[in-house]
Amino acid sequence: MAANVVVMKRPVRKSSYIRASLKGMALTFRHMRQSAGDRSEVTIQYPEQKKQLSPRWRGTHVMETHEDGRPKCVACGLCPTICPANCIKLVPGEDDQGNRYPIVYEIDEFRCIFCGMCQEVCPVEAIHVGTHYENAEYTRNEFVYDLDRLMKQRHPSTLLWDPADPAGE
Amino acid sequence: MADETTAAVENVSVTIDGMELSVPAGTRLLDACAQAGVDVPHYCYHPGLSAPAQCRMCLVEVEKSPKLVPACVGTVAKDMVVHTESEAALKAREGVLEFYLVNHPLDCPVCDQSGECKLQDYVAAEGPAMGRSKEPKRVLGRDDFGGDVLFYADRCVMCTRCVRFMREVAQDERLTVVQRGHRAVIDTFFDEGLTGNLWADNIVDICPVGALVSKDFLHKARAWDLDRTPSICPNCTQGCNVRLETRDNQVMRIKPRPNPEVNAHWMCDFGRLNYQWINRVDRIEAPLVRDGSGRHVPMSWSEALMRLADALRGQTGGAAAVVSPFAANEDVGALRRVMEAVGGGGGVFRCEQGEEVTLPGFPELALRTDRAANVAGAELFGFSRAGGADGKGGLEGVAGHAGVLFVLGDELADAAADFGANASLFVYVGQHLSPAARNAHFVLPSTTFAEMEGTFTNVQRRVQRFWPALRAPGMSRPAWQILGVLLAGIGDAGAPGTAADAFAGLAAVRPEFGMLAWGDLGAQGAALPEAVGQAGD
Repeated sequence: MAANVVVMKRPVRKSSYIRASLKGMALTFRHMRQSAGDRSEVTIQYPEQKKQLSPRWRGTHVMETHEDGRPKCVACGLCPTICPANCIKLVPGEDDQGNRYPIVYEIDEFRCIFCGMCQEVCPVEAIHVGTHYENAEYTRNEFVYDLDRLMKQRHPSTLLWDPADPAGE
Repeated sequence: MADETTAAVENVSVTIDGMELSVPAGTRLLDACAQAGVDVPHYCYHPGLSAPAQCRMCLVEVEKSPKLVPACVGTVAKDMVVHTESEAALKAREGVLEFYLVNHPLDCPVCDQSGECKLQDYVAAEGPAMGRSKEPKRVLGRDDFGGDVLFYADRCVMCTRCVRFMREVAQDERLTVVQRGHRAVIDTFFDEGLTGNLWADNIVDICPVGALVSKDFLHKARAWDLDRTPSICPNCTQGCNVRLETRDNQVMRIKPRPNPEVNAHWMCDFGRLNYQWINRVDRIEAPLVRDGSGRHVPMSWSEALMRLADALRGQTGGAAAVVSPFAANEDVGALRRVMEAVGGGGGVFRCEQGEEVTLPGFPELALRTDRAANVAGAELFGFSRAGGADGKGGLEGVAGHAGVLFVLGDELADAAADFGANASLFVYVGQHLSPAARNAHFVLPSTTFAEMEGTFTNVQRRVQRFWPALRAPGMSRPAWQILGVLLAGIGDAGAPGTAADAFAGLAAVRPEFGMLAWGDLGAQGAALPEAVGQAGD
């Protein structure tokens, strides 16, 4: 079937790659020259310098506390119910003042999909997802945040939506 | 006779929300509405109690009537036209709900009733969107009513179902309404409150809101997390129809299921709170067969049952048996058939006993003397009572039995360490490996009633079905399945595949069961007919 193959003849001027390569390298060189001094447009000095996060950023959780240090959570069970990833474990109980509170409250941050529905559903504004992304631990187990850990989290909590653009448009 | 009774009550035609239907004259409007598929909101009315028409939630509009009619006391009349969703009815009910919310704390997140609360439901369905009350709410706090009951006064809607239950059904008046108007509150007469009344927890069931809650269930689980399975209360021979409410493969609470023949709407606190044993975790999980050196070796079911069938085949010397009165009819009947296949023999059961306590307002219901569900079934299949009222002892006759020995379900917790040591073949079918059970040649794990399908025969000879509510641990199987497969291995019977098959097999031992079809049992059970021309054994 070789008889059917037609080899197109092209002028060297068109088929050579040298010209295209030089064009590309010229562009690279132009950028190199432009950013040779100040690189702040593309590089930030992390961790000294950090990027501004979106107000809708949803990261690892924060449990709000009362002034006396008790968690605001009343163990109503709505967040484990709404959680689509089933990552919240809650065992309710009663404290010595007769208030309902969580004996066990654990969030598996690995399993969490950071949808923020726990924060939306919470009737007492206790559980929040935080504007935080630096999550490093030595063991996987430490990513199951218990109540103490959640109460110690200090980062600000998310707004869930951008106040400048509440409809998300 | 049938014609006379039907002629006495004339059917009338009524129109409810545009639907025409014919109901007997004198039918309660609320029931007629239910027949038309309309659920009229109500708090104070309960089918097991009198209707005081004081909650004003069931107001409906009846044409040609000058005022709205409370559906719980109004009765149908000829050509009545009822509008449950008319503007006037909705406005009235919205107003009533707004008043209920004036002092209600709206603490749904911490309230145990949340998810099964009538105030929550009705306010969501037809309540006001916003409250207009600006005054501070009345705060009364919580009160311990004694027994298993806690009272959150602020959540109360003053339907007085609890007061009427104690007056009319328990007939032990311990609750009353004190004060009048907006100060009115339910309270107990004396310091002991409800302590000592066996029926007090029923007021927790009938409380339409979270005012009366169970201490046992306090903060334990949310209503929407529970799986509900129809079952039979296993704690006495009354056989109250119940729902096992489970979460994470554990029974969280037991609630009564209405059955007009057995327990109406009620059940006793003994049965209700005695469920921890169902959640026991120290269970046998695999068939264990004793090998030559005396060690128990875990085995597959087919291997274990094949070896057991080999050991039993050709045996004709009869057998002795200990059965548990908590075992289902199918279990006990299957054991009886296996025993007959090896030459018959007698058996005993042991049952804990206590004082009988009758519910005065519904005397058919009592906490019975025998505190196990299937004493009647065990007796029907030819097992006799042994031991004391504490459910212990009585094993002298079988402990040293030299032939084939079966134990079904009985834990043998009090048996001597050498129980069954003389038996030529000791088969233990049960849940817990007690020291006596360790003497068995074959240890076969069976399920509890909560993990299987089957029937109990109650004290009225009523056969009632229960359904599996929990996952069975490990390899355990219903005893009727174990023994049915075994019977197929030693005889020519077919192995039962379902509880219905096992139930049909009971007729081979007791012909009365043949007169009862599995399909006829339904969710409410059926009375076991008397055997015709059959001398009981």
